[in-house]
Amino acid sequence: MKEAQKIIDLNQADPQKFRSWNFLQDFCITCGLCASSCPASGIDGFDPRKVVRMVSLGLEQELVDSKFPWICTMCGKCEEVCPMQINIPDLVRSIRGLRDRDKVPGTLHKGLQAALKTGNNLGLPKDDFIFILEDVGEEIAEEPGFEGFKVPIDKKGANVLTTVHNKLVNTQNEDLKHWWKIFYAAGEDWTIPSDNWEGTNWGYFTGDDEAMKTMTGRILENMRRLEVKTLLWPE
Amino acid sequence: MSTRSGFEKHFPEALNEFAFVTVFDLMIQYIKEGRIKLDRTRFAGVKATYHDPCNYGRKSQRLFGHAYYEEPRWIMDQCLDNWVEMYPTRENQLCCGGGGGTPPTGYHEERFHYSRWKAESIKATGADMLVVPCHSCHGQFNAMKKKFDMPGLQVKYLWELVADCLVV
Ligand code: SF4
Ligand code: SF4
Repeated sequence: MKEAQKIIDLNQADPQKFRSWNFLQDFCITCGLCASSCPASGIDGFDPRKVVRMVSLGLEQELVDSKFPWICTMCGKCEEVCPMQINIPDLVRSIRGLRDRDKVPGTLHKGLQAALKTGNNLGLPKDDFIFILEDVGEEIAEEPGFEGFKVPIDKKGANVLTTVHNKLVNTQNEDLKHWWKIFYAAGEDWTIPSDNWEGTNWGYFTGDDEAMKTMTGRILENMRRLEVKTLLWPE
Repeated sequence: MSTRSGFEKHFPEALNEFAFVTVFDLMIQYIKEGRIKLDRTRFAGVKATYHDPCNYGRKSQRLFGHAYYEEPRWIMDQCLDNWVEMYPTRENQLCCGGGGGTPPTGYHEERFHYSRWKAESIKATGADMLVVPCHSCHGQFNAMKKKFDMPGLQVKYLWELVADCLVV
């Protein structure tokens, strides 16, 4: 909590700095409702009200260096209670976007880089991906009621295209089964693409709009390539 | 949610070219059309509760003009006789602490400190099973079981609940 006592040097303030950001930050009435509603308030002396005020004052370096934008889950609770409807989650996301990419904490940027390069956050090769899917598919086919189950990979003209959250082909293979069983029981005509199957889009978390566009565009490419009718929005 | 907002922002033309469906609407369609049948006695004796993810609630309301509060509850009703609401819910819900990409940031201690209020909400329901329709929430709740001494809590995806209740 030592950092909380740190005095902010107002000589660093530059109120013009974030004028182009339109999250309504300058309308804050400092009521504190956001701060009281936020489960992350108090961590290292930060809270959303403080962040909003620092954006108004243009204290860029302090904000970018702070851990708070990465601990805030962009949950929108503060925005919900804010009488001025200040869009704190998107403001936080914009601050995230200002960090040097190699200083983005943890594996967020690394996962995203792998996704941009290989089509999925894990960098999982296509053969391994197909092996896992078929292996899990065979397990389902052994269960009573699911005889003859097969995973329809790259099925042209299918009705529904699905994506895969990377953790389901990493440590949580069992959880692939639920939707597949529902599809089977419903007699759905569905498919999974063998390339660019990633269902997560970490550009959202790192504040990287270009990456988000690339990942989304790849799903669209798959829809066109496989001539599907419907996309099931990634869970 | 990020994919959907990516489409709306960058590829709006595709929204007319293809159909799009949420996990909720697809399950509801299958149930209403009689394409799947569910056995409501499968979890007889289990007390369940439901967690509203931020992204299907407040976020969807703001981005897409509709929050998915009633849809999952209707699906819960088709699968379970005995489930209770936690407090707070819907637009007032508390985030699980695993949203916004926080799990891969490495700030674990902070992430669990964040979820202390949520743990209280869950415990107050006395539920044995917590149903969620989000991968991030699912991971966070499973990690919270140890931290907050809830070893008996079963964390279940909403579509897992439906798959478990299938009559085949
Ligand atoms: S709730 Fe809104 S107006 Fe009140 S302090 Fe927070 S940002 Fe400012
Ligand atoms: S969006 Fe961030 S600042 Fe606002 S309540 Fe959620 S965690 Fe706190």
